[in-house]
Amino acid sequence: MYKNLMIVTLIFLSGCSEKLVRVMPYEKEYFAQDKMSLSPIADRAEQEGHVFLIREASAGGESAFQGGCGCR
Amino acid sequence: MKVILILLFIYANIMAAGKEGDKASSFNLPNLYHLDKEVSFDRYNGKVVLLNLWASWCGGCQEEMPLFVDLQKEFQGSDFFILLSSIDKESQNAIDFLHDIDPNNLLDALYDSEKILPKAYRCIGMPSSYLIDKNGNIDTVYVGSIDEEKMVALKAKIKSLLRK
Repeated sequence: MYKNLMIVTLIFLSGCSEKLVRVMPYEKEYFAQDKMSLSPIADRAEQEGHVFLIREASAGGESAFQGGCGCR
Repeated sequence: MKVILILLFIYANIMAAGKEGDKASSFNLPNLYHLDKEVSFDRYNGKVVLLNLWASWCGGCQEEMPLFVDLQKEFQGSDFFILLSSIDKESQNAIDFLHDIDPNNLLDALYDSEKILPKAYRCIGMPSSYLIDKNGNIDTVYVGSIDEEKMVALKAKIKSLLRK
């Protein structure tokens, strides 16, 4: 009895897994949108640089060419 | 032991994809360009078909589409057909994309808003393509986009299936 119940539960759980837990490749339309990207896209990088300039009242320093002294 | 076997069966059932040698699932889906007109898979009985599951938002699908247009041009007049099935939420997105790539509508296009085909074929990656022989059996499954290199092998397969 207990064993059968366990098997039935497992079957139900496995049935749920595909629909509720895994995002299938064909359901990734929203993930494919630009706004879902973790890395800044080229268009947005320019905007972000502009916002940074206004907020920090300073320009530059965002590239990797700086010496790290913070003097620029 | 019995329980392990049952668990293995369940796992295999979940992970099973549309495999080579399986009978291709039949369907009735609307034509992408005329949504009120249904296209039946039975129409392609006795033909070699490359069924491509795609979406306009999928980068790999966008890359391979021009190659499919060239492929269909090459086999124009033969019993080989490329059948696209778009799973876009908005059919217009798919139409707009194809308008630039395939202005003469060489490729047969379906619209599968309910994602019936990816579920039936247990699609495990986008894009997925299924080469179906004249008897309606899946000959080869291609997961991911088809590049120039894969295209050479695909053409050879199509020619061989057309000869059978």
